[in-house]
Amino acid sequence: MALGQYLINGLLQGGLYACLAVGFALVWGVLNVVNMLHGAMVVLGAYFTLYGAQKLGLPLYVVMPAVCAVIFLVGYGIQRGLINRVIGQPILITLTLTFGLELIVNNLILHFFTATPQSLIVSLGAIEFAGIRIPIVRIGGMVTAGMLTLLLYWLLYHSRLGRAIIAVRMDRHASALMGIRIPQIYALTFGIGAFMAAAAGCAIALIYPVTPMMSGLFLGKAFVICVLGGLGSVPGAIVGGIVLGLVEGVGTLALGPQWATSMGFLLMMAVIILFPSGLAGKKGYE
Amino acid sequence: MNRWKRLLQTAAVAGGCMLLAGAAHGQETIRLGVPLALTGALADAGAKSKQGYDICVDAVNAKGGVKVGDKRLKLELVEYDYQSETNRAVQIVQRLVNVDKVPFLLAPYGSGDTKATAVVAERYGIPMIAAAAATTSVFDQKFQNLFGVLFPNNMITDQEVQYQKQHSPGVKTVAVLASNSLFPKSIAQEFVNSAKKGGYDILFNEVYSSETADFSNVLTQLKALSPDWIYVTGYTQNLILVRRQMEDVGLSAKLVTMTSGPAYPEFGENLGSLAENVTTNAWWHQNADYKDEFLFGSSLKYNEDFRERYKRDATYLEASATVSCEILAMAIEEANSTSGDAVRKVLHEKKFDTFYGPVQFGSSGQNHVNAALVMQIQNGKLVVLAPDNLKQGNVIAHVPPAR
Repeated sequence: MALGQYLINGLLQGGLYACLAVGFALVWGVLNVVNMLHGAMVVLGAYFTLYGAQKLGLPLYVVMPAVCAVIFLVGYGIQRGLINRVIGQPILITLTLTFGLELIVNNLILHFFTATPQSLIVSLGAIEFAGIRIPIVRIGGMVTAGMLTLLLYWLLYHSRLGRAIIAVRMDRHASALMGIRIPQIYALTFGIGAFMAAAAGCAIALIYPVTPMMSGLFLGKAFVICVLGGLGSVPGAIVGGIVLGLVEGVGTLALGPQWATSMGFLLMMAVIILFPSGLAGKKGYE
Repeated sequence: MNRWKRLLQTAAVAGGCMLLAGAAHGQETIRLGVPLALTGALADAGAKSKQGYDICVDAVNAKGGVKVGDKRLKLELVEYDYQSETNRAVQIVQRLVNVDKVPFLLAPYGSGDTKATAVVAERYGIPMIAAAAATTSVFDQKFQNLFGVLFPNNMITDQEVQYQKQHSPGVKTVAVLASNSLFPKSIAQEFVNSAKKGGYDILFNEVYSSETADFSNVLTQLKALSPDWIYVTGYTQNLILVRRQMEDVGLSAKLVTMTSGPAYPEFGENLGSLAENVTTNAWWHQNADYKDEFLFGSSLKYNEDFRERYKRDATYLEASATVSCEILAMAIEEANSTSGDAVRKVLHEKKFDTFYGPVQFGSSGQNHVNAALVMQIQNGKLVVLAPDNLKQGNVIAHVPPAR
């Protein structure tokens, strides 16, 4: 019975992790940018959700899409106006740029929302069957995250925009020769990454007390998940997220809660050595 | 050529004026160096400490300043953000001493950062007052320049255990979960020691990383053990998440005690009804209403001033910051000098009666006057359970509240 509960706990956490990492994986894979801003986008999404629901009193089904749309535009603008200017430079340049932007966004969040933890109090109860308890808020968060991830998957593989994004990831120069506007695709991809970060932020606002300091924690998780699942791979991010959720859970049981977070990094090192392309990644994107 | 000469002359005059102004400025004020955690993991606590220091400096200056000889010297804070990084706090204290030449220091937030920076204060012989360090190991290095206003952790945990022993007789077993940093781990260990002395069975005693994003599995483990009393320490955001996930996994207990998040209003604001009946402990509460002839008048009056300025009640954290600055001002007046040696001597010898309660540092440097409070959130309010002279209600032993 307890084993079932542990498994469910791991899966629920893993679902959240997957949503957290999908946007990060996409940007890394297509743009070859390690987006240090991702964690701050997640936290910004969470704060905008809190603001919309608490200060403006809007219902969550209005707030969440609006927040995702706003952050999509922020992401699009950042890529179009700033990152596109240095996109051809070595990865260290884009990494430094996004790191700088992360500091700015984080300090703005700290200034406007303060460091005091803030929460949305959403109590929907829990479902209980066979002695296993599943909180409904978490199911909601996981289902939303899962649906958005599937939507992204569909977008990438079954729409003209998605095919263009994949084409750019495969060969930037050949895509340009085919008439694809590369800067536009980069900006849209970064925008979609920001959209997914905001969606994760919305789910997080329902579950966690939100503080500006969470951005580093979420960035670290997204990084581990991407390496676990395989860089640039959307299914890889889902696999990586769920594996990390389960491994942290097992780590808590086997070694105590102190070591749970270290387990993820240990696993990441093992995967780098044994499967350089990640658990579900394709060769060539590592 | 003439133009250049005139320009140089103007620059020299301006520079001279600035130097004179600086010197005059330096004569008129007593500069207190303070590293603040305004960004990073401790940003919330850092902002609260700053509020505490600011209200003290403004109150002292409003009454004319600190009396030294026939002059009244105003207080001035020289502050830098140490970004919640211990190494940076150490660098900043070095800068405050060597570049800013401050004669007195206020310590950074928390036991760990205080311990690290106290080494610098000791090396240069600058008296440093710590507002937020209660762990005994910070004060057992025989430093002569470190003074802490919070009394030791074991006084808090002994008070908590003694109170519950008397008032919650059905409670026999205890589980302890502590964040893996100096203060939360140390007070959890003191709690285990106090609970063992009190005859409780310790069923579970583990630490967690403050980076933990999910407590559901460790709480599922606790559910299987079904302890009567759960004691958790850590950052407020960790404690909020633990309490929420207790609900998620369906974990209840007769007593849930958390240090020190529930002492802050945001704990209740983030949890709503889930905060009900959580107990906590603290070093101070305005209801203690200690008299203070030097500043503010009393604990209640201090809280009124604080409320007027920041639109909320002060917690022990802001109050301890205020009192550290106040004690420095009192010691300077008593010594009738701004010399570090004279002030240090007063700090070691005198007992200070403040709105925060009596403070006496003694030889170790840590305040040893015990005034520990046991509190519980009841109907959304923090209610003092002990000591008896401040009691506002009786403990309700059920979390979540029995329906």
